[in-house]
Amino acid sequence: MLSTIDDATLMKVAVSLGEEEAVKLIEFLKNLDEITDDEIANKTGIRLNAVRKILYKLYDHSLVSLRRTRDPKTGWFIFHWKLQPDQLEGFILSQKRRVLEKLSVRLDYEANHDFYYCDTPGCRRVTFEEAVEAVFHCNACGKSLVHFDNETMTEKLTEKVEQLRKELGE
Amino acid sequence: MPKRNDLEQKALHFVVNTGYQGVLQSELWRELSASSREGSRVAIKLEEKGLIRREKELEGGRWTYRLFPKRMPANIETIVDCPCLMCQDNARCDPTTAISPKSCEKLTVWIISLGKETDDPAPIEAQVDGSSD
Repeated sequence: MLSTIDDATLMKVAVSLGEEEAVKLIEFLKNLDEITDDEIANKTGIRLNAVRKILYKLYDHSLVSLRRTRDPKTGWFIFHWKLQPDQLEGFILSQKRRVLEKLSVRLDYEANHDFYYCDTPGCRRVTFEEAVEAVFHCNACGKSLVHFDNETMTEKLTEKVEQLRKELGE
Repeated sequence: MPKRNDLEQKALHFVVNTGYQGVLQSELWRELSASSREGSRVAIKLEEKGLIRREKELEGGRWTYRLFPKRMPANIETIVDCPCLMCQDNARCDPTTAISPKSCEKLTVWIISLGKETDDPAPIEAQVDGSSD
């Protein structure tokens, strides 16, 4: 299948997996057809357990496919991996939908609540209802609570949600 | 046939990267170092697959086509730094539970950081000045 995804996007996805060596692994995998985890570890110098961890992460999102054969001598399974760049577009879209859902929940919460805080690092913001219950004193540090202006946050969040909706064509 | 497919993939990338202004078919085959015959065949194939749109255009007294991508490439840029993207708590994250997007601290930090990189240096200096008081 023809894909509109370029290598730069593929690498950004690799970075987003949060594994340092994922970029190196995907860079190596993209030029190959099918390869075993053992061979990947030998040829890239990445430790075998790290290779497997990244591959399983990619497999969770269907970004690699897996074929299993049995070693005739030992009877152990051999896993053959293959990158599936054509799944990348679907992966990106589904991640965007998921993130949009989370951000919409947050935006709704921010827009419909008044917040109070004590300005102590480590203490959390509370809603107006919670602040009334605590007689406008922080439950953790005891300092008095003042109003928290979340307008900038709401604006930024609205912008991001709109951008995501536009990109998803919703 | 992999060879034909390779050319199609390259052509598609080239057209997609031109964005909304599109590209002339004659520029496409020159860019791909292919012949005009190959170029027009690839363009027709991509149009048949619904990946691009062709519009007739007069260029230097000759009729050619301008090629436009039908879909923009999927881009992860918008959410690449969002903590929700690869959050380990994703399976447990729900508005009704303790781990929730409503109160997530990682998300708060990210929202506050949004648009910071595009800010002018002046407000940051002002902030530093303000905090030193």
